[in-house]
Amino acid sequence: MRTTALPAAEATRPRTGVVGALLATGAVFMAFAALVAVYVQQRQMAQAAGQEWFGEGSVELGPAGMMMMTLLLSMVTVQWAVQAARTEDRPHGFIALGVTLMFGAAVINQFWFVYQDTAFAIDGGRAELLFYAVTGAFIAMLIGGMAMVAVTTIRSLMGPFGRELAHGVQAAAAYWHMCVLCYFLVWYIVFVTK
Amino acid sequence: MTLTEPAVADSEAAPAAAPGSSPVPSATPRILAQPFLTSDAATVGRLFVVVSLLLALGTSVIGVLLSLGRTEAVAPADMFAGLNAYFRMWTLYRVSFMLLVVLPLLLGVAMAVVPSQVGAGNLAFPRAALASFWSWLIGALIIVVSVFAGGGWGAIDGVTGNENDAMALTLLGTGMVIVALLVGAVSVATTVISLRQTGMSLLDVPPFSWSMLVAAAVWLFTLPVAIANIVLIYADLRGRPAIAFGRAESPDIWLQLDWLVEQPAVYIMAVPVLGIAIEAVGAAVGARSSRPEAVTIIVGLFGLLAVGGWSQDYFTAPQDLRDGLVYVAFGLAAVLPLVALAGGAAELVLRGTKTPDRLLDARMVGAGAALKLLGAAALVGALRVIEPLDLLETTATWAVFHGVVVAGLIAGVVALRNWSHELLICPLSQAVGRGAVALLLSGGGLLVLSDLISAFLADDPDLMDLALDGSTALNVVAFVGSVLVAVGVAAAVVGAVSALRTPTAGSEAA
Repeated sequence: MRTTALPAAEATRPRTGVVGALLATGAVFMAFAALVAVYVQQRQMAQAAGQEWFGEGSVELGPAGMMMMTLLLSMVTVQWAVQAARTEDRPHGFIALGVTLMFGAAVINQFWFVYQDTAFAIDGGRAELLFYAVTGAFIAMLIGGMAMVAVTTIRSLMGPFGRELAHGVQAAAAYWHMCVLCYFLVWYIVFVTK
Repeated sequence: MTLTEPAVADSEAAPAAAPGSSPVPSATPRILAQPFLTSDAATVGRLFVVVSLLLALGTSVIGVLLSLGRTEAVAPADMFAGLNAYFRMWTLYRVSFMLLVVLPLLLGVAMAVVPSQVGAGNLAFPRAALASFWSWLIGALIIVVSVFAGGGWGAIDGVTGNENDAMALTLLGTGMVIVALLVGAVSVATTVISLRQTGMSLLDVPPFSWSMLVAAAVWLFTLPVAIANIVLIYADLRGRPAIAFGRAESPDIWLQLDWLVEQPAVYIMAVPVLGIAIEAVGAAVGARSSRPEAVTIIVGLFGLLAVGGWSQDYFTAPQDLRDGLVYVAFGLAAVLPLVALAGGAAELVLRGTKTPDRLLDARMVGAGAALKLLGAAALVGALRVIEPLDLLETTATWAVFHGVVVAGLIAGVVALRNWSHELLICPLSQAVGRGAVALLLSGGGLLVLSDLISAFLADDPDLMDLALDGSTALNVVAFVGSVLVAVGVAAAVVGAVSALRTPTAGSEAA
C-alpha cells in the first residue's frame, strides 16, 4: 500500500510576549500584595492596641467607589481591544485602546482629588505613610499599564493588526486586569473597611 | 523586527569590500562594543558569570575581615572605623553574597546553557536579558558605593552617623538589582515555557533547565516581596526624618529585609544547584537517570519549600510566626528533597562508569561537595526550627546561609567545568576545578560547623555574633574557613579568566 507523506504542520509561533508578560505581571502582583499585607498587619496591630487608624470621615468612600466603577469599565474596554485585535478590526481596536487610556487617566485624576480631599501629611503617622505607600504604588502600576496600552496603540497605528500585535494587546490586557484586581484590594481594604 | 528577534548584526557578516574601494565598516559589534550591543544569550550569560565571580572575590575578602573581627586579634570597632561601619559591612556581606554573587552567577549559567538545552536558538527577550545585566551591574555599583559612603541597611541601635541620602541610594541599588534579576529570570523561564523544541514536554526538559524554571518561579514569588519592603522603607526614609520603617539610627531597616537571607528564602539560591549537581554527576559517569520524573518532582518540591516572602517576622506581634507550625514544617521538610536527590545521584553513579578518573572528575567531586554542603545547611536549618534547642536567633542562621552560599559557589565552578563550551572559550582546567572545589568545601564546612557550635554555646542572641562567650577557638576556625573560601573563589576566578582567553597556536600544540 502506498503511503502519502503528510505535510508538516505549520509551526505555531510561541507566544513569548504573552508568557513573559504573565510572569512579570505575577511578580508585580506579589510586590503589591506584600505591601497590602503590611498595611493590613499594621492596621490590625494599631486597632488591637486601641488606636484610631484614620480619623472619622477623613477617607470618603464615594470617589473610591467611582474609581472602582471606572476600572471595571476599563476591563471591558481592554477586553474589547483584545477581541478587536483577534479579528483584526482596526477601528474598534483604536477606540477600545483609546477609551482604556482615558479611563486610566480618569482614575489618576480621581486619585489626585482623593489626595486633596484627605489632605494627609506623609509623616502624619503609620496610617498616613502606608496610605500613600499603597496608593502611590498602585498609581505607579497603573501608569505602567497605561504605558503598555499606549505602546500597543502606537504600534497598531504603524500597520495592520497581526498575530504579533494581538499578542501585545493580550499581554497589556493581562497586566491591566491585574491592576484592576490590585485596585479592588485597595478599594476594599483601604477605603471600605478603613 | 520584533522585540524578541536577535539583532541581525550578530549573525551576518558585512559584505566584502570591492577592490579599490574603501573598506565597509563591519556590522558585527566590535569587541569593545559587544557587551553593550550583543543579543547573544551565551555572551550575556558569560558577562553575568565573570562579573559575579569578581564580586564573589570582593565579598569573600569582606568575609575574611569580618571573621577576623570575631577573633580577638582586632576589635570589630577598629576594623572598619567604628561599630556602625562594621554593621554596614556585615549586612553588605550577606546581601552581596545573595544578590550580587550567587543568584546572578546561576542566572548567568542559565542564560548561556538553557537555550541550547531546550533547543531554542536564543533566549526569549535577549535584549531584556542584556538590559538586566547592565541594570544589575549599575545597581550593584550603587549598593557598594553607597554603603562605603555611609549608607547601608540601617544601623546598630542608637548609633548615629549614617547618611540618609546614602541609605536611600542603597535601597535604590537593592531595588534595581532585584528588578534586574527578575527580568533575567522572566527571560529564562519564558525560554523554557515558550521556546522549547516542539514535542518536548515540561517533564522532558533537562534537569538544569527544569531547576531554573522552578527557581525563576520561586524568585518571582519571593523577591518582589523584598521590593515591597524597600518601597515602604524608602517612602518613610526619603526627604525627612523617618517615622516608622526607615529609621536610620536603628537596625529596623535590616530587620525588614533579613528574611531574605534566612530560612526558607535563603534556599532560593539553592534550587538551580540541584539541577547542576544531577546533570554534572550524570555527565561525569556517563549515565542517565532511570527515573527523570522523580528528579523533576524533587526539584519542584524543594522550590516550593524555598518560597519565603511570608516568613518575615518584623511586622508580626512578638508571638512571631517563627514558632508557628508552617515555619517549623518548612524547616524540617527541606531536608527530604535533598536526601532524595542525593539518592538519585547515587543511583547515577551506580549505573555509570566507575573508573577513577571519572569518579575524581571535578564535576563529580564538585556535585558531591555542593550536595553535601546543601544537605548540611538544610540539616542545621531543621535543627534551628526545633523550639527546645533555642537556635532561632543565633549563629545557626548564618550556618544555613554559609552552607547554601558556598554550595552555590561550588555549583558555579561545576557548571564552568560541565558547560565550558557555552560559558568559556577553553575548558576549565581539571586541576583548578578540583582545587577550587576542595578549598570551597573545606572553607564552607568550617564556616557551617563553627557557626553551628557557636549557636549552641551562645548565652544570648546577638545580632552580629560579636560576643560569643567561650568560643574564641571557634571564631578562629570561622576565620580559617573564610580564608579558605576566599582562596577557593580566587582559584575559580583565575581559572575562569584564563579559560576565557583564546588559545594561541603554541598553547594548542602544547
